[in-house]
Amino acid sequence: MAYAATIRPDERLKRFVVTSMVLHALLALGVGVSTYFSQSGENWGGPGGAVTVGLAGSVPAIPLPQPEVVSPNRVVDESKGLFKTEPKPQPKTDLDATPIKKFEKEKPPKKYVTRPSKTLENPTPPPPNAVPYGGGGAPTVPVSSFTMGTTGATAAGLAVGGASGGDFASRFASYVTAVQQRISREWLQSSVDPNLTWAPRLTVTFDILRDGTVTNVQLIQSSNNRSLDTSAIRAVQSASPLLPLPSAYSGSRVSVEFYFDYRR
Amino acid sequence: MRRQYAILAALIAVLTASLPAARPSAAQDWFKTGTGLGIAKARLAVPDTAARSSFTQPFPKTFHDVLWADLEYSGILDLVSPSFYPLQSPGQPSELNATAWAAAPANAYMVAYGNITMDGSGIAFSGYLSDVHNPQAPPVIQKIYRGAAADNDARRMAHQFADDIIAYLGGGQTGIAQTQITYVSERGGNKEVWMMDYDGANQHELTHLKSISLTPRWSPDATRIAFTCYVSYRGVTSAQICIYSTVSNRLIAFPRFRGTNSSPAWSPDGSQIAFMSSQNGDPEIYVIGSDGARLHRITFAAGVNTSPVWNPRTGRQMVFVSDRGGIPVLYLSDSDGSNVQKLDLPDMGYVVDPAWSPNGQLLAFSWRRPSGNYDIYVMDIVSRQLVELTKDEARNERPSWAPDGRHIVFESTRTGTRQIWSMLADGSQPRQLTFQGQNESPNWSPK
Repeated sequence: MAYAATIRPDERLKRFVVTSMVLHALLALGVGVSTYFSQSGENWGGPGGAVTVGLAGSVPAIPLPQPEVVSPNRVVDESKGLFKTEPKPQPKTDLDATPIKKFEKEKPPKKYVTRPSKTLENPTPPPPNAVPYGGGGAPTVPVSSFTMGTTGATAAGLAVGGASGGDFASRFASYVTAVQQRISREWLQSSVDPNLTWAPRLTVTFDILRDGTVTNVQLIQSSNNRSLDTSAIRAVQSASPLLPLPSAYSGSRVSVEFYFDYRR
Repeated sequence: MRRQYAILAALIAVLTASLPAARPSAAQDWFKTGTGLGIAKARLAVPDTAARSSFTQPFPKTFHDVLWADLEYSGILDLVSPSFYPLQSPGQPSELNATAWAAAPANAYMVAYGNITMDGSGIAFSGYLSDVHNPQAPPVIQKIYRGAAADNDARRMAHQFADDIIAYLGGGQTGIAQTQITYVSERGGNKEVWMMDYDGANQHELTHLKSISLTPRWSPDATRIAFTCYVSYRGVTSAQICIYSTVSNRLIAFPRFRGTNSSPAWSPDGSQIAFMSSQNGDPEIYVIGSDGARLHRITFAAGVNTSPVWNPRTGRQMVFVSDRGGIPVLYLSDSDGSNVQKLDLPDMGYVVDPAWSPNGQLLAFSWRRPSGNYDIYVMDIVSRQLVELTKDEARNERPSWAPDGRHIVFESTRTGTRQIWSMLADGSQPRQLTFQGQNESPNWSPK
């Protein structure tokens, strides 16, 4: 019995186990305490740091020209397309030929039966160049990008290419550009609902009198956002008086159709 | 029966067809345009002014330099660099080669040009503004400007031509080239009220009180300047409100009060003046008619209440500085003093010198945040958005708006001495206006 002479297993093992457990607990406690205290430094970017101050261009109420933005080329826009997928023609029924049903008193009401809905298939495939109804638009120009800002030739070209009654826009292209620039600068977008990032084009019409006074301001196409509509009407009204009509122009007033495209 | 319907339909058709003819507006001219993703500035070329007679002094050069500076500083134009110009400079419409100016590299949209002559009666400038993409049309501006053979008159004529160009290309907006700035300078030994053109030229002293004059403010009709003066009242020299007439070039009588009276501000219609007064002990804001009658007090809070400004668009609101909460910050109230609310800012520090923009939407002020010195900030009143316009080691204080709302004049110590500077309202294009002595407290004339 060699081992019985050297150790008494029951008593000695118990002491070692207890000591080891106490030491492990102390170690774990030490690790925990050191981790806790090492965290108590200062946080970066906490309170008392920098103040968020916007860029100068982000306050739109300064009546300076906004920076020019180049918009990407779009294949389609929201205007209605050239091709319309017509609904299938319904077989016409002769209304007069339908007999009036007799009133049936005794018949019990029909029981409601649910059936799986059918998927209707269009047997005639659309032509290869078809654009879905409402998803098409005017064909785009074959360039990679174009700018919405108008100066020089583009100003005259845009005004003529748009639409005008008489030859006002082509004779007095610079007047049209001046009106556009003025109203763009008076359009203060700070009063527009900040959650709005995009809105459909809204259109305002007004008349310019001989001395440049703006009258008869009307919203003819709403953007479906009241704050945006108001800001556009205010832009037109606060631009009054505009430049007096060109002296070479003989009329007493000119009507203007002015659109606003809102993007944020 | 069928026949009756046919007659009725024909009648309706005839009436409908005749309806537009009865309205005269149907034949009216109209055009269509619009705005969207930002608008490019108009590209304007300004070739050298053609001299058509011999000059003893360099008036053509003065004229052209002033015109160029005015147009460049307007903030709404893009001036084509002179190195892109065609070699031949036009002096009158028949000499204008429109296609050369419209083509690359100039790519000009408009050309402003003219000729200047001098005779016994003075100098005359014939100015033209032509649309080079529409060469058949007559020039949109053709005017003759006259003046005496003096440097100041050459500058004035250039300012007038610049304002005409800006009014046309800006769509009827008035320019600021003929406005003036009043300020306080102590280059003569005492702090007196001075005045200069908006570009820093023609600086001259207005008052000769030989004491201390501070915070000059233009009346809305630009005929009077109210300022803080130190004069004797009941045997004691104290701060009072003085009014100087730029029409008669002398002081106008205005009542004096006990205590310290300072920082006047005009109501938008010019009928009232708000100012700080300690006539009843505590410095509070009072309003008085500009004729000196109907004094009444509008703030009732312990501590200093000063530097009132009216909303220049409506006249119904006021912003003033008060330290009722411990340190001086801005408070917004109705113009009768009711409905006071603090304008909260996202940082600590003194907030002083409020200046309300002419369109009533923005408030400029100077703010000393704990991280730096006084700098000029602009706040959108409605959305409380903030923009920092200046950022440097020095003090930038006391902003004042130009009547077009696109420019701000302020005082800065960035050169080592206190001087007047101006900049565009987005913080770009800063330029120093004064160089001699110490100058402070600028105020831009409203017209």
